[in-house]
Amino acid sequence: MNRKHDLRSLMPALLTNLAGMLALALFLLAGGNSADTVVLIGAVWAFVFIVYMWARGYQRKKYLDKLLLMTEQLEERYLIADLMMEPKRADDQVFYRILKLAEKSMLEQVSNLRLERREYREYIEQWVHEVKTPITAARLLCENHPSDAARAVLAELEKVDRFTQQTLYYARSEHTEKDYVIREVRLSDVVHGAIADNKYLLRQNGVIIETDDVTDTVYTDDKWVRFILNQLIGNAVKYRSENPRLRFSTREQDFLVQLVMEDNGIGIGKADLPRVFEKGFTGENGRSIQSATGIGLYLCRRLCDKLGIGLALESDGGGTTVLLSFQVNHFLHFC
Amino acid sequence: MNQYKIMVIEDDPVIQAELQTLLDGNGYASAAVRDFSAVIEAVREESPHLILLDIRLPGESGFTLCSKIRTFSNIPIIFVTGSDTDMDELTSIMLGGDAFITKPYHTAILLAKIASLLKRVYGPGQNEALNWQGAVLHLESSMVEYGNRQAELTKNEVKILYYLFKHAGRICPRSDIVDFLWDNQLYVDDNALSVNINRIREKLSAIGLKDFIRTKHRQGYMI
Repeated sequence: MNRKHDLRSLMPALLTNLAGMLALALFLLAGGNSADTVVLIGAVWAFVFIVYMWARGYQRKKYLDKLLLMTEQLEERYLIADLMMEPKRADDQVFYRILKLAEKSMLEQVSNLRLERREYREYIEQWVHEVKTPITAARLLCENHPSDAARAVLAELEKVDRFTQQTLYYARSEHTEKDYVIREVRLSDVVHGAIADNKYLLRQNGVIIETDDVTDTVYTDDKWVRFILNQLIGNAVKYRSENPRLRFSTREQDFLVQLVMEDNGIGIGKADLPRVFEKGFTGENGRSIQSATGIGLYLCRRLCDKLGIGLALESDGGGTTVLLSFQVNHFLHFC
Repeated sequence: MNQYKIMVIEDDPVIQAELQTLLDGNGYASAAVRDFSAVIEAVREESPHLILLDIRLPGESGFTLCSKIRTFSNIPIIFVTGSDTDMDELTSIMLGGDAFITKPYHTAILLAKIASLLKRVYGPGQNEALNWQGAVLHLESSMVEYGNRQAELTKNEVKILYYLFKHAGRICPRSDIVDFLWDNQLYVDDNALSVNINRIREKLSAIGLKDFIRTKHRQGYMI
């Protein structure tokens, strides 16, 4: 509230009192009182009026400032109606009730949306589990009857599987609960697992794989890391150049183990590099390749943040290097 | 040779049939449950060496079945399921499951799990050596023996020969061999396979096995 508003809300009281004062003055003058007496009475009235207005304004300001401060300090501000004291003034009480009603209807909306969201999430998770049965059946059919066509179908099935995984992890990354389990994980197992998940895709595209230097053990959730690697391998195949190569290695630093994945693909432009983890960002490469969604790397970043893994991407035009940095607490080894 | 019998408890008919094909093709005897109201009776009757158990089943769930089976038998049980939550994995272990594999699984991983579980529970079944026309492949020592002469092999060469010995007398398409090698974490391509085969041939002819591996034009290799 500013001064202009203050004055405006004062105006009715001021005008009424002035009118009263004027009427009294005329009445007194008509009754034969001296001008001095009238001025004195007027001055006393004005004094009492000003003191009253000032005291009331001060009190009111204090009350409203407190309310404002309380609201500002509250994290969920819509709950202010629950926290404030019930006001005593009649008009304040009306606002208080309005606030209460608004809060109630909003809370209902929010909880409805939460419920819908949770149900949708559960549906998605269930759907992913359901769809795995036909994928498994199709895989088995193809693997039991090997042929070039079956291998091509298997490569497509790997893509389908990667997309369904993406859906599942997207749904999971949305909610705050933790649903991962940290255990001792041999990075070579995860790398070999991720390669196996993309075996036919990699073979179809003639990707040469090197995994000789993957040795370390870290503490993390293997399923999540495998999912992240799957997305990265998918990208490496999608943005490959001729004679594609993919090299996995690990290196140790003081309190870090880094898993490095290098490809010799088309790389990422300097301008795009800082933005690749943004949701929906496809960049120059993405625009030239139809199936870019801008979700894969965004999800990788989110999952890495949750697991406390450092995720970095480097590209110098002649390929891309992805670094996954795992914290190593040496203390753990002594226990 | 004494065949291990593996029981498939899985309600999807295609997966059930294909799993049986896969197991039969890999030297196991397989049995499947068709009546899901009498699974326990079927298990008692068949008394398999290992069970592949789905979790979501008509009638009783895989978890219930597992704990029921555990009341009378200690046979290895592998849970095979589409759900990959940690909760399910934990439950399966608590109830006495021996392994937990999520769909869509790789047949190679499934077969490896089965083999290692059978080995752990029933001991090594056969000698780790393969015979074909007088040539003996020793897996433990990475050696191939013919007459009195021996040749040392590299890791890749053992794997390739193992596959050929396992399919002795049949034509092995190059792609199938490469598939098998990838399943064993050897990521070779077609050219590397040719190089390896040539090296194996040199080693074999040095110990008197000439033309042991024959090339079938446009089809693959055969011993």
